[in-house]
Amino acid sequence: MNPDSVIVVEQLRKSYDALEAVKGIEFEVKGGEVFGILGPNGAGKTTTVEILEGLRPRSGGLAMVLGFDPEKQTQQLKDRIGVCLQATNLPAKMRTHEALDLFASFYSRGVSTQKLLERLQLWDKRNAFYETLSGGQKQRLALALALVNDPQLLFLDEPTTGLDPQIRLEIHRLIEELKSEKRTVVLTTHYIEEAERLCDRVAIMDEGKIVAMGTPRELQSRSSNVSLIQIVLAQPLTQAELPRWPDAVSSVLEQEGRGLTVRSTRPARTLVEVMKWMDTQGLQLEDIHLHRPTLEDVFVELTGKKLRD
Amino acid sequence: MKHYLALIHIDLKLAFRQRTVIFFNYLFPFLIFFVFAELYRSRGGNSGMEFVLRFSLSIGLLGSGLFGAGIRAIQEREMNILRRYKVTPITPIPLLAASIVTGWVIFMPYVFMVFSLAHYAYKMAWPAHLAGLFLFIAIALAAFRAIGLVVASVANSMQEGTILVQLFYFPMLLLSGATVAVTDLPKWMHVVPKFVPSSYFVQGLESMLHGGSLAQNWEKLLVQIVAFAVGMVVSARMFRWEKEEKISRASKLWIAAVLLPFFARGIWEILSKR
Repeated sequence: MNPDSVIVVEQLRKSYDALEAVKGIEFEVKGGEVFGILGPNGAGKTTTVEILEGLRPRSGGLAMVLGFDPEKQTQQLKDRIGVCLQATNLPAKMRTHEALDLFASFYSRGVSTQKLLERLQLWDKRNAFYETLSGGQKQRLALALALVNDPQLLFLDEPTTGLDPQIRLEIHRLIEELKSEKRTVVLTTHYIEEAERLCDRVAIMDEGKIVAMGTPRELQSRSSNVSLIQIVLAQPLTQAELPRWPDAVSSVLEQEGRGLTVRSTRPARTLVEVMKWMDTQGLQLEDIHLHRPTLEDVFVELTGKKLRD
Repeated sequence: MKHYLALIHIDLKLAFRQRTVIFFNYLFPFLIFFVFAELYRSRGGNSGMEFVLRFSLSIGLLGSGLFGAGIRAIQEREMNILRRYKVTPITPIPLLAASIVTGWVIFMPYVFMVFSLAHYAYKMAWPAHLAGLFLFIAIALAAFRAIGLVVASVANSMQEGTILVQLFYFPMLLLSGATVAVTDLPKWMHVVPKFVPSSYFVQGLESMLHGGSLAQNWEKLLVQIVAFAVGMVVSARMFRWEKEEKISRASKLWIAAVLLPFFARGIWEILSKR
């Protein structure tokens, strides 16, 4: 067990009658780290996080969070952590500032609720009823409630699900701020770009097991490492005209012969060869994209499923 | 302690922002009060006004207990509001305590107002033991809110909760003597009110309106105190934060625990008469 670890999980199991939701997983989260748990719906990530938050008892194994056993020292643990739940609500006629004042009263320590409202851009909405807030404002309030006790460890369970891209970006910026403040964040998500952008390390879960764990870059490098070169041509081609480029795994024409997709294990070298060939053929280029393998590709390779299945 | 005060404070604010709370706690009982007070005005004396008070206070008390405490608790669970509280360090006890205190703060001014109206507008004499009577009503209110909270604890859904509340509400209103005098019921039914929780409130209220003291009504008071205590223990024990946490059919029998003091008192009364 690493002394820097804020969370230690060993052989954690959770069963609901015959259904085994979490099947003996193991991981550690270090202080100041943003740790992502990635997986499709039903992978067991919310169950895992809820065990760590002290909301559910475990069926077996060990879990320690901030030195507390979530099952036995629940109240002490809850006093120290911040939680942003996936599906939650507040009374319709509760004002924004009232929610913060109420939740602040539950904890043994706290921060200025005025500063929190300002930080989460809710100051103008401090007197608004909960029912009048937009989806993004409700989510910002949920994050403000998670920060009301100034926690060093935060659990954010799919904090951007269902929000529009602009608000997702705002929440991403906030998580980056939390990271810069050296707070530890456990983030569950099924958005690849969220995990890639925000997480120091990621555990990929499927069917109650961790199928891969590491930094996003490590995980990407563990894939078969095939990149996509996508080219849009001005003139159509036929499949027969395409040569075999070095290191290219496949070359496919789409969009009535104007879209060329080349899969390559060494994309830089293949790209140069493709450009040379186009030049000699006198072909005009309209657009070009290079896609490195994503965590989604890693996930598909490991499980044979898509993340948002 | 600060979280108890914060919860009571916000519960009260939220209650007074709900039109339904204002309607069912004040407007509707006042309407009943005025309609029946006018109907009975011609009779003169205290008896008509006693019926009006019995009726309107019973409606208010049962409404506050079963709908105000019970249905509201189910609503908060169904809407995932309690789930948000679950991740904080609080236990169910401050939430339950806040519900009881909120009930008092909302309902007791109504009690004071109807007694004042009965006295000043309809010339009813003040009861001899007014403070004792108010205390009796406050304890009865706590007992009925505890019953409401137990109903909320054992109901797995709003649909189930509504059925349970109606199963309690109408018998307690119609068979307690609040609306129909027990003597007007068929003879074979005379035993039924002895097992209806609200009967003890109605009997105690009637006795104290006739000059009885709190001490003279100690049995009726005790049964309400025991029901309150059992109700709070059961609802804290059975408290569920999330709608997904369902309870088994067998666990629903805990509802009998809160009714037990009333059953015991009913049986004792029958046996002692024999």
